[in-house]
Amino acid sequence: MMVDQRRKKLAIITTFWNWRSHANHMSERFLNGYPRNGKWHRPEIDVVSAYVDQRPESDLSGEKAAHHDFNIFPTIAEALRLGTDNLAVDAVLLIGEHGDYPDNEKGQKLYPRYEFFEQIVEVFRKDGRSLPVFNDKHLSYSFTKAKRMVETSKQLRFPFLAGSSLPVTFRIPPIELPLNCPIEDALMVGNGGSDAMDYHALEAMQCMVERRRGGETGVKAVQLIDGDEVWQAGQDGRWSRRLLEAALARSDSRSGIGLSDGRPQDLAHSDELEKLVKDPAAYFIEYNDGFRATLLMLNGAVQDFTFAAKIRDFPKLQSLQFLLPPKPNVTYSACLMSKVEEMIVTGRAPFPVERTLLVSGILDRCLDSRIHGHRRLLTPELNVSYRAPRGSQFCGAIG
Amino acid sequence: MADKTNRWTTPGINISRRDVLVGVPAAIAWGLAGGVTTRGDHSSRKRPQIAALVTEYRKYSHGQNIVDRFLGGYGWESRWHHPEVDVVSLYVDQFPESDLSRERVARYPDLNLYSTITETLTLGGSQLAVDGVLLIGEHGKYPKNEKGQTLYPRYEFFQETVDVFRNSGRSVPVFCDKHLSWNWDWAHDMVKTSHELGFPMFAGSSLPVCRRIPSVDMPWGAEVEEIVSVGVGGIDSYDIHSLEGMQCLAERRRGGETGVVWIQALRGDSVWEAFHSGSWEAGGWDPSLFEACLCRSQSLKPADENSRHTYPRPEDLRQLTATGTPPVAYRFEYADGLRATMLLLEGLVINDITVAARLKNQSQPFSLLFYTGSGHHMQPNFFNPLSHHMENMILTGQPPYPVERTLLTTGLTAAGVESLWLGEKRLETPHLAVQYQPNKASTFRRT
Repeated sequence: MMVDQRRKKLAIITTFWNWRSHANHMSERFLNGYPRNGKWHRPEIDVVSAYVDQRPESDLSGEKAAHHDFNIFPTIAEALRLGTDNLAVDAVLLIGEHGDYPDNEKGQKLYPRYEFFEQIVEVFRKDGRSLPVFNDKHLSYSFTKAKRMVETSKQLRFPFLAGSSLPVTFRIPPIELPLNCPIEDALMVGNGGSDAMDYHALEAMQCMVERRRGGETGVKAVQLIDGDEVWQAGQDGRWSRRLLEAALARSDSRSGIGLSDGRPQDLAHSDELEKLVKDPAAYFIEYNDGFRATLLMLNGAVQDFTFAAKIRDFPKLQSLQFLLPPKPNVTYSACLMSKVEEMIVTGRAPFPVERTLLVSGILDRCLDSRIHGHRRLLTPELNVSYRAPRGSQFCGAIG
Repeated sequence: MADKTNRWTTPGINISRRDVLVGVPAAIAWGLAGGVTTRGDHSSRKRPQIAALVTEYRKYSHGQNIVDRFLGGYGWESRWHHPEVDVVSLYVDQFPESDLSRERVARYPDLNLYSTITETLTLGGSQLAVDGVLLIGEHGKYPKNEKGQTLYPRYEFFQETVDVFRNSGRSVPVFCDKHLSWNWDWAHDMVKTSHELGFPMFAGSSLPVCRRIPSVDMPWGAEVEEIVSVGVGGIDSYDIHSLEGMQCLAERRRGGETGVVWIQALRGDSVWEAFHSGSWEAGGWDPSLFEACLCRSQSLKPADENSRHTYPRPEDLRQLTATGTPPVAYRFEYADGLRATMLLLEGLVINDITVAARLKNQSQPFSLLFYTGSGHHMQPNFFNPLSHHMENMILTGQPPYPVERTLLTTGLTAAGVESLWLGEKRLETPHLAVQYQPNKASTFRRT
């Protein structure tokens, strides 16, 4: 293929590439371009190679490679070296989401992100050069492995960005909490399965609460409860009904009465919520600085992701919806890939990978809590401290 | 309609506001969060009672969506908002099997269903007995005329309403959903009557007041040279939404609204021929504004089925819009020279409406998406801000924006349909010399 030396070369390392996969809509932003601030933006980046771990009948990677003139290699190392003896690309997308992988006893899908990452950094080490890497969603199902990944990125000194699209997608309304604000309480409402969608919800919550006074200090304990105990915990004051009202006031979901006869329903102040949500779950996060936050997964009542927080001295609660625009465009992934492009172009990750590290650990330990009798678990290993980025990183924050 | 002064110059609902210009980071506008309304103290006053006149009250009809928001509330800011007015009477014109109005009357003890509009407004007595009227003449089985207009009885409902006002020697605020009427003369008469009787009235689509992405307004006093919208749907139905979306931005331009001098509608291949001409001067529109619209859309249909999001090549445009409702364009020019093109492109866009405008001395177009929800499976909460404005008008007597906006868009809708009916004929529109000055304060949902 003709290669323009001024353009950056990107390798896609992925588990699975069909129409609905993350590999497809994330890679497309570099293959086709994407809308940015009212213009169709075509990054100065070429996808030059891919490694695809599983290629069932629905696989699209072959067609994409033929259409866009890149090669699919049988190993990760070859995809990074383009079949030569040396690292031959400028950046790596590691998309270990979707595909047929086993679950462990904690309900975690054992996506081989860490294993792929190890193969990538082995090439970096052997070839004496490291590149910017983006890792889709949590770093690994295992906090131990996730921590090792971050440590390696520091040792080899390459820009490392990771996480969900929720922190960077459009917000309704487009608000950001002021840096160093005194947050007293926070509640996130999400939906979907574990450990796929709860991760998104936890990272969305983290990108808001990390802006609290003193910065992120890490997490000292977590607990995951489910079923009727969730409602009981609300009555006991372990999570705030008032914050739930604020978060749900931002929801556009249609469920229950909204489906049966169209009425908007005040879920926070009726028994409809308890009727609609058959299997609620609450994730309690206690931070080292004493701050507490809660994620409620309310399947059956909502299909969107909302957040509310109480900030000291603010007369009103702050609340928003993390907007996930619909298929086919799912423009939230364009929001995330614009951040990856920014890292590739500038050589700097626009937000700290420690956010994703901490949330990977929070989720891993919450799932431990679930299988260990929903006990509160002390988490001294989650002493991940970092500072939130000063500027807002979400789509729409830039006009 | 050459009254340049807006009778209702102070809007009833002003989100605590400062100018938000294109490109200003929304993050620094965080201080906007926590909008306040200026309703005054109503605690010592009796809650206003209002009447709703609807054509049909079934699941997801406009009547249901709006009236249910008054009856049961809706999410607003960080709370469940219970309106400070009571819907006490209901007139429903048609009762399909799926009717919900009788269920609502049973559910809400203070709500009564009447068999005539007069009784609905007098609560069965002899005099006007309500403090506000919602006129929602959308949905239901009504005949279409030969031009394709659905003959919703908005004017007829309005006439019966003002008959009660006249007979009672007193008028109350009126909201009219969507365009005032399918008939220009009737719409004109409705506005004239509201001014003669001196009651607050506003009308229109939910688009001008719904959320926007990005959350910006046309800079006040901007020199707007050309404006384009890309939307979906059919004529006499969705054209009004797009036209209202364009008009609420265009009216903020330098000099205020001047009215429209001509319009020409195109359909089918003519639309793409105009597009390929490459400019307004050549019979089309500014391609950079078209691109800006498509790049604000969040529901662009990919030409290639293996892709999720592509920018259409010129040859894709005809192919994508070849089946289903044919594409439509309304090209029109304002009296001050502003050029406008409204496009309905079923097949290219799945379900959203975007607008882009070229401003003098600005290198990049101003552009935005009117955010009406993330797909049709979600609650139509774009009715929340519209309902909130109705409530505010009833509480304060102040409409959020001049009814002349909707008079003009009503006239544009009727004229666009007429142009198509006459074979895409260019029509001079001296009757659309509707001049008005909107309020500077933004009225769309931001917080």
